[in-house]
Amino acid sequence: MTYAEALRLALRRLRTNRLRTTLTALGVIIGVGSLVALLAVGQGTKAQLTSRIASLGTNLLNISAGSTFSGGVRGAAGSASTLTTTDADALRSLPGVAGVAPEMQVSNVVVVDGRTNSTTTMTGTTPDEAKVRNYSIQDGTFLTALDVAKGLRVAVLGPSTVSALGTTPSAIVGSTIDVNGIPFRVVGVTQPKGGATGFNDPDDFVFTPITAVQSRFTGATNLRSIGVSVANPNQLAYVESNIESTLRTRHALASGTSDDFSLASQNQLLAVAGAQSDTLQHFLIGIAVIAMVVGGIGIANTMLVSVRERVREIGTRKAIGARRRDIGRQFLVEAVIVSLGGALVGIALGAIATGPIGHAVNVTATPSLDGVLLAFASALVVGVVAGYWPARQAAGLDPVEALRYE
Amino acid sequence: MVSAPGQSRLLDVSDVTRLYHLGEADVWALRGVSFAVDVGENLAIIGPSGSGKSTLLHILGLLDRPTAGSYRFAGVETSSLSDDNQARLRNRAIGFVFQSFNLVSGESALENVASPLVYAGVKRRERAERAAAALERVGLADRMRHDPSQLSGGQRQRVAIARALVTNPPLLLADEPTGNLDSESSRDILDVIAGLHAQGLTVLTITHDPDIAAQASRVLHISDGRVVSDERAASADTVSA
Repeated sequence: MTYAEALRLALRRLRTNRLRTTLTALGVIIGVGSLVALLAVGQGTKAQLTSRIASLGTNLLNISAGSTFSGGVRGAAGSASTLTTTDADALRSLPGVAGVAPEMQVSNVVVVDGRTNSTTTMTGTTPDEAKVRNYSIQDGTFLTALDVAKGLRVAVLGPSTVSALGTTPSAIVGSTIDVNGIPFRVVGVTQPKGGATGFNDPDDFVFTPITAVQSRFTGATNLRSIGVSVANPNQLAYVESNIESTLRTRHALASGTSDDFSLASQNQLLAVAGAQSDTLQHFLIGIAVIAMVVGGIGIANTMLVSVRERVREIGTRKAIGARRRDIGRQFLVEAVIVSLGGALVGIALGAIATGPIGHAVNVTATPSLDGVLLAFASALVVGVVAGYWPARQAAGLDPVEALRYE
Repeated sequence: MVSAPGQSRLLDVSDVTRLYHLGEADVWALRGVSFAVDVGENLAIIGPSGSGKSTLLHILGLLDRPTAGSYRFAGVETSSLSDDNQARLRNRAIGFVFQSFNLVSGESALENVASPLVYAGVKRRERAERAAAALERVGLADRMRHDPSQLSGGQRQRVAIARALVTNPPLLLADEPTGNLDSESSRDILDVIAGLHAQGLTVLTITHDPDIAAQASRVLHISDGRVVSDERAASADTVSA
């Protein structure tokens, strides 16, 4: 018997047992559906995370102030343990550096605009901030070199901050707001970057000249971080090591001691984020695989029952000339058809469910061809594995016993 | 009974035994059976239940193998055939008719009749033509699309006979073909079988019913795994085993 004949026979058999066929395929339908939907959500999450990190800045090196001393050994007064504005100035002249943004941060400042107020973070920085951290302006201008040189009380707001104050970018540019009671003139509002999570909205901030923050708020030269943009992405590693040695020299760190700052490139962040979302993806696939295994057990179980019910039919088929492999093929094809049929329905349902599921977890998810092919392939494997043992049992029946079976 | 093997010899059974191991006990279902069947004979094998006639039917039908002895089908020693070759011989050379019809429900009469041709590798169109012809031969041309469940017992057995005939085998092997039928249907089925025999088909019927055996041209009595008599309707030559 050819596979085409076995297929025809299986379809006829499955059509006469529609309800049972549907119930048997349900496990695979759910398994394949969740595989397609969860894979799409996982891939969407990864893409979103990656694009968000990319939106933080291109060719970015981020230097954060260290908070640790080497076991407290060199904790003496005068040893430089934090980043300063002069560190930032020193980096500016290094080869391959396109922009340096020293960042001085004041958390939880209260911004008041007339009668409304909002709590946000104020960052004192320089015009390079826009280039380094990838900000663009939707209304007004960004900070200028003149603003920084004169320590002017001007501010650039994030779009989320503007809406938190209950106003619009065009309305607020040119007006004066109070930051912790000190008046600042709003000169610009940035374009939204999007991708907010519950804890961190990249569009909620106040940028002011670093000199204004120094004179009005902190009175110090300590920086929270320095953003450096590299002119040529291929030079990233070279610039990174140059920065490290420059800062070590400036901080008078003896060789063998660890850095008192941390240096991370965007690529490292991407790698970490990629690894995290891969872990998430594997977890989601794991759930779908469990569903597929359960579906396969369902098929195997139904096929075993079906073999029991059809012992006489098997005996008759052997009597009229079916060989072992003809009988085996008939049952194997039946199991595979149930599985693949379930896969087709599951793919359709999974594709339909992907949008709403993605919406529920704030991810733009679309079913991928990879996911569909993977689901189909695993359904094929499940069908073959689930059908193998029942098919073997059917093929191995003794015709005499089978014909006598009541 | 023992005649020289000629070209008309279809079956040649020689000292066939069959031993079953039932738990601790060994049971001899056949204790040395020998007989021969020529082409065109209408043979009935009769015996009480437990006599070994079912075992003999299974061996003659190549569904079972003898423990010892020789069984030649159309001159071919069957014990040396592989399982697949035995299946092929069953498919081409033996038509089975069972007591309980053994039709597959969910498949039409035509599909049931055509199923041996599937295993013979016959193309779909030709299968349908040949199955239709076989159904016509048993007088069921108007029931081809019916499911077995929509047919009477007699009609079902006609479908089963058509299925047995569809590969044009030289031998029809019937196992209590009227066992599940009322007397009218029984007569009907026996008439169909007699008609096929008249057309030259070799028929071998297993039964416990002497009335059915009486219709055969030759009757083989089996008891305790042995042939106890071999009677021909015309010349009543009896041989004790």
